[in-house]
Amino acid sequence: MDIRKIAVLGAGRLGRGIAECAASKGYEVVLFSQGAGGQDALRRIEKSLDRKLAKWGITESEKRLVLGRISYTLDLKELSKADLLIEATVDHFYTKQELLRTADHLCRPEVVFISTTSTLKVSELARRINRTGQLVGLHFIPPVPEVPVAELVRGTHTDENAVEVAKQFATRLGKEIVEIQESPGLVNPRSLAVLINEAAYMIDEGVCDAQQAELIIKESWGMTQGPLEMADRLGLDLVLNWMEQLQEEFGPRYAPCPLIRRYVRQRRLGVKTRQGFLAYTEDDALVTKDEGEQED
Amino acid sequence: MNIFVLNCGSSSVKYKLYDMENELVLAEGRVERVGQDNAVITHQSTGKEKVSKTMPILEHTTAIQESLNLLTHPEHGVLKSVEEIDAVGHRVVHGGESFSDSVLINERTKEILDSLAGLAPLHNPANVTGIRAAEKIMPNVPQVAVFDTAFHSTIPPHAYLYAIPYKVYQRHKVRRYGFHGTSHKYVSQRAAELMGRNIEDVKIISCHLGNGASIAAVDGGKSVDTSMGFTPLEGLMMGTRSGDIDPGAVFYIMKEEDLSLQQIDSMLNKHSGLYGIAGVSDMRDIEREIANDDKLATLAFAMYEYRIRKYVGSYVAAMNGVDAIVFTAGIGENTPSLRTALCANLSYLGIEIDEEKNKIRGEDVEISTPDSKVKVFVIPTDEELVIARDTAKIV
Repeated sequence: MDIRKIAVLGAGRLGRGIAECAASKGYEVVLFSQGAGGQDALRRIEKSLDRKLAKWGITESEKRLVLGRISYTLDLKELSKADLLIEATVDHFYTKQELLRTADHLCRPEVVFISTTSTLKVSELARRINRTGQLVGLHFIPPVPEVPVAELVRGTHTDENAVEVAKQFATRLGKEIVEIQESPGLVNPRSLAVLINEAAYMIDEGVCDAQQAELIIKESWGMTQGPLEMADRLGLDLVLNWMEQLQEEFGPRYAPCPLIRRYVRQRRLGVKTRQGFLAYTEDDALVTKDEGEQED
Repeated sequence: MNIFVLNCGSSSVKYKLYDMENELVLAEGRVERVGQDNAVITHQSTGKEKVSKTMPILEHTTAIQESLNLLTHPEHGVLKSVEEIDAVGHRVVHGGESFSDSVLINERTKEILDSLAGLAPLHNPANVTGIRAAEKIMPNVPQVAVFDTAFHSTIPPHAYLYAIPYKVYQRHKVRRYGFHGTSHKYVSQRAAELMGRNIEDVKIISCHLGNGASIAAVDGGKSVDTSMGFTPLEGLMMGTRSGDIDPGAVFYIMKEEDLSLQQIDSMLNKHSGLYGIAGVSDMRDIEREIANDDKLATLAFAMYEYRIRKYVGSYVAAMNGVDAIVFTAGIGENTPSLRTALCANLSYLGIEIDEEKNKIRGEDVEISTPDSKVKVFVIPTDEELVIARDTAKIV
């Protein structure tokens, strides 16, 4: 089947990133979200494109073309027109399961489903839908338009054709696919969780402040973003959710640092609240050390 | 002999059908927005009404099939059946070092073309897709590849090599290849004909000035240097491309503006040139803004002319003389003011142009005065005819 129209369930950072990336490669994208902020998704995608335009990465006409290919709706009936479905909601098993079951009824039977879950098992999610063999795990790493690699996992019953469809889609998005075994946390979130947690402990213990930890880790390992900025951009509530699930699966070595819990309780969630480990402007840009607050 | 010429881009297919007895165009057309539900196909057979329709065309095979349907259409077409096509000539952008001339396509040719995709990632894969699609529809018709780079294969090593470690050339074939070869070949041959001289005896500087622009030094019918290099970014200032820039400035800009490779690539290819200076990329807009006394448009025009002048001067030196300068393509053919400004600055070569002739459009014209020591021509380019001629010669 020729894939032209894709449905993205979830308009968070991951969903928006997939939508932007897919539209820039010529796909027509319908973005679905019933969560808070969904209405804002197109504006935030436009902001992301504006940042690229300001850096000469795209032209004004390319920006218009990409935006013209993305639409937003609350109406799940629109799923019947999709050639490929990508589920990019928060990793809550029952929420995902319900959404996938609804989509299972509404999408054409031949449509392949992709789940971006990083902490849940594809096999478990697939068991609850009729198209058990057509669910593939494909973890895009944010910021999706920039990160050139994606982790692919197949569930126990995932069929080869579905894997091929997912691979072709990700390849067209310019991603190198690395297929790994089904395991909660995959490679990227699991290793990132450890890095974020350890940095949080060092801040909590007074070894260094957040900016110092970020600078040393980022520059010494040649990263474009350090772990604390990554955590803030993901959202500390999401990071905490990851860690709790990893702790459940692998034991106390993933126990979240109390500082992360404290920040989440204080609604200090990262970029979306302008303050996490680090501080951010209204335009989501990192506040430099001179401008930012120095606590912790 | 009927030759079907195809120019396949990533989302477009352009075609022309020639009767090579008299080199007559029997029909021509284009399919745009290939890959979409609302692709547009426009077709015109010579002497008949132009037709246009919008329909879903999802890939190149369908695009070519639709164009053949129109060529054989009882009302709009010129052929009774596809079998009347004797050969297909394909425009292929990059032939690398493997192809120094047009070739008959076979399995080996396609393998080599696949391996060259990295040299022209935006163009070659689409060209090869077109070749495979045409083969599928017309399996028994010979197919010929005509390369944009082939005409420049005569450039000597001292002109095509960059002064970087030789190993880089050996490992990755990084060197000057040049582009617009079929256009430079056509207009230089035509200029020699118009001069009534054997092309082997003349030195010509050919200026292909379109949205992309390049200059070639053609000595005795052979390209000996050209302004575009490893990619079409080098050389003249263009519509949105920077042309020559100090590589050191590129590194500095990347650092100061915190740009990635993709971003600097996009800046130099899509945000620079006339557009980068004046905010508009079309020479007609530049001329309009100059009339409105816009300082940046005036500056952009001056920069554009100056870059051409520098290359003309250097190619006179490269060939130790010049007999004719030719202007072609969109800007080259349709901007008399540019030719006037340029030629006024080349008076040391004894160039004089006739301003009345300089205003003539749409035909081959010698715009220099009879006393001019160097002939100056405006010659509308015809790349498809070169492809058709090469194809006919090979099959």
